[in-house]
Amino acid sequence: MHEATLAENILNIALDAAQQNRATKIFKVGLTLGELVGVEVEALRMSFDVLKKNSPADDAELVINRVPISATCNKCGKIFKLERYNFFCPECDGVLILQSGRELLVDFVDCE
Amino acid sequence: MEIKLMKNILSANDEIAALNRKMFAERGIVVMNLMGSPGSGKTTLLEQTLSKLVGKIRVAVIEGDLFTAKDAERIERLGVEVIQINTAGGCHLDAAMIQKACVSLNLDALDLLIVENVGNLVCPAEFDIGENFKAVVLSITEGDDKPLKYPLIFKESSATVLNKIDLLPFTNFDLQSARTDLTTLHPTIKIFETSCTKGTGLDDWTQWLLGKVTR
Repeated sequence: MHEATLAENILNIALDAAQQNRATKIFKVGLTLGELVGVEVEALRMSFDVLKKNSPADDAELVINRVPISATCNKCGKIFKLERYNFFCPECDGVLILQSGRELLVDFVDCE
Repeated sequence: MEIKLMKNILSANDEIAALNRKMFAERGIVVMNLMGSPGSGKTTLLEQTLSKLVGKIRVAVIEGDLFTAKDAERIERLGVEVIQINTAGGCHLDAAMIQKACVSLNLDALDLLIVENVGNLVCPAEFDIGENFKAVVLSITEGDDKPLKYPLIFKESSATVLNKIDLLPFTNFDLQSARTDLTTLHPTIKIFETSCTKGTGLDDWTQWLLGKVTR
């Protein structure tokens, strides 16, 4: 349950960005979350909704983009999207190196 | 207006973790972040490990717990310097807690610092504390399905200690299946089989740990 910590960080990042751009109202906060990160999205939304009260983000909505797990073979160089967590190359005897799926990003802030 | 940020949500933590890592590197200290479920045997493994390391290298411990100093008291009995962090309900240790704890440690007299994280297979995996490597303890009684249920922690860890191996005959834990899942998830992971109450498998584990320090 570290969603509250994440929500607090997300709110602070969004509020800082709004302030630096002289915006007083935040409408949307865009997030990019990899499939490998242990984030419970409903808990994240709930924490964010509690924390945003009485701030410029009072009505802000989280827009969440999940990124699939992908990995590149260290031998044949092919890129695979992983459904199961198998990091052995299905086509040669190489090992797959994680490329995406670990993202935890505030992508954009929509404000005015 | 839309402001494009692409900012890491954990950047505040990661910046402090980078400072910790620099501080440890400058003093030549190797730091292990030891993780695992509540009751997996992290503290017992630590007691066994410390009793083998004391006298060979200079080691200290940071104990993370929600409440109480019970684990720290166990470590202290071995004559090892230990700092207790109580997270008061917090599910993981973060870089700032480690930074603060290090103020009370004599870092110039250390080769290895072991941080025992809060018992949890989810949150600790996400928070960099400035360690050199992570290790995760998985006990036989937790079940062989855990690596695929909590992939991140096993993907992030350099080693898995399969603890309470003496209980294998009394459970339906499939050792081969657990090993296969761990290796497919993380092809280079080191796997150790230990029983901390019977004292088996600990030499391989401590040798590996010593190798990390004296490399």
